[in-house]
Amino acid sequence: MSYKDVLNKLVEEGLLTPSGEVKPHRPIYVFESGKIRELFTKLIDLAGVEGFYVSTIVGTDLMKDGKVRLDYYVVFLPEEETIVFRTFLPRENPEIDSLLDIIPGVLSGECETYDLLGVVFKGNPALKRGFFVPKDVYEKGIYPLRKDAKV
Amino acid sequence: MAITKIIEIPYSLEIPVGPQHPALHEPLLLKVYADGEEVVKVQVYTGYNHRGIEKPAERNSFYRDIFIVGRVCGICNTVHANCYVRALEQILGIEPNNRAKYLRVLAMELERIHSHMLINAVMAEIIGFESLFMNIMLDRERIMKAKEILTGNRVLADYMMVGGVRRDINDEKKNKLLKLLNKTEKRVKYYKQVFMEDDTILKRLVDVGIITKTDVLKHSLIGPPARASGVKIDARASDKYDAYDEVPFNVVVRKEGDSWARMILRWDEALESINMCKYILENLPSDGNPVPDEKRLPRRFPPGEAFTRVEAPRGELTYYVMSDGKPMPYRVKIRTPSFNNIINTANVYLGHSIADVPVILVSWDPCISCMERITVLDLTTGEKKRMHLKELARGGRKWVSPRYSI
Repeated sequence: MSYKDVLNKLVEEGLLTPSGEVKPHRPIYVFESGKIRELFTKLIDLAGVEGFYVSTIVGTDLMKDGKVRLDYYVVFLPEEETIVFRTFLPRENPEIDSLLDIIPGVLSGECETYDLLGVVFKGNPALKRGFFVPKDVYEKGIYPLRKDAKV
Repeated sequence: MAITKIIEIPYSLEIPVGPQHPALHEPLLLKVYADGEEVVKVQVYTGYNHRGIEKPAERNSFYRDIFIVGRVCGICNTVHANCYVRALEQILGIEPNNRAKYLRVLAMELERIHSHMLINAVMAEIIGFESLFMNIMLDRERIMKAKEILTGNRVLADYMMVGGVRRDINDEKKNKLLKLLNKTEKRVKYYKQVFMEDDTILKRLVDVGIITKTDVLKHSLIGPPARASGVKIDARASDKYDAYDEVPFNVVVRKEGDSWARMILRWDEALESINMCKYILENLPSDGNPVPDEKRLPRRFPPGEAFTRVEAPRGELTYYVMSDGKPMPYRVKIRTPSFNNIINTANVYLGHSIADVPVILVSWDPCISCMERITVLDLTTGEKKRMHLKELARGGRKWVSPRYSI
């Protein structure tokens, strides 16, 4: 099944909604944050374990909107097409289920996003402050990449 | 008297990779637990000197950030700058001319050659083959010289700029570069042969740190470690950025998946890169000045977001840049290849001996200028002993007769 078929199937099932693109030609698909495990489990079923990898997780603090945006950049093989899976979390309490048990490659991205932006990946036992952030910063409860953080 | 009881003393080894090196976005510590000589658990600790480059990138102008991101990594600074600059070009809708694209690829491939030579030299040193280390480093200097001729600097080039590059080359420089590349090519072929045939190297690297294709993808490994396990991923071939759609090259893939395959693959890639550089120099387009006029570059960036990939020497490097129409980027996210390749590979060390740990670690190609010291902690007595990584790789012996010569 090609990556386009996989994405179409996920759109048909209501797990993804197409929403523009990141330049150059990286289609964005928005999903509900509560369905992330369902989405990626289905993705593994359709594309196979060797059909894709999670390249990176990009968290962005949208302070004015009161949201944190979370982008999973997934590279589909063998075409090596990069697709953006995007979701939004409330800025006050950004929580989302961890994918660590089904996709171990998200370890570094989840740990970094938690430490720098404060997004909690529920079920990831490796989350800790101080993954990157120095002690004097995290002891004050500061998440450096929040727009209101003064570091 | 017959032996009636064997007491196994557990050792805990702390291997500090750090405190910092520019290429490792996250200087780290590998804490290795071993049962006798066998590694049973590895924990990765990070955050020793995280420089937080993404935050200052949000507080400086788009153009100033070109110089900031160029300093993420000393070894592969042109690929960092290239990836960021291309993201800006995507947001602005600017495209450099062909000559600039070719020169960009030339700079990045020179960087790949010297990076691959460096890590192979380091591997030779780690396993006690110091004469080989010194010879490779000596030949690597030719490529550093070539980079200096092209960019004006042998390390931090600051060569990329929006819409082109900072310097052009003339025929005299072209000929000098070709001479340097031809000399280096012979040496790289020879070093590849040494890595293919030398007993010491084969015994230390073959079947050490094997990782399967499935594990590579599950753990999001990229670059030479992925390609050495049969995963054909290469951003140059898939994204075809700059002149990679015109410069012919092969994506080298191996199936063995061990430390040896990762090192041989780098020699093959270095040879591919040398051929690419020679092709570029012989077929350099003349479609205009590759150096844009800085004063005419756009001062305002429209709102938009770009995600660019580049195949750095260590693997896929990505930049996400978001503009909200203001003079500074709203968000810059950098994901270096070592970020995935080092943090996500703790499981590969299991079952190997302690002396294999440095070999496996080096085979991922981390930036290792700061990871020389190792503390061996005897959990029973609490006694600590410091030794060099090289010493550890030699099984704890301080000195090995340098019998090997090339």
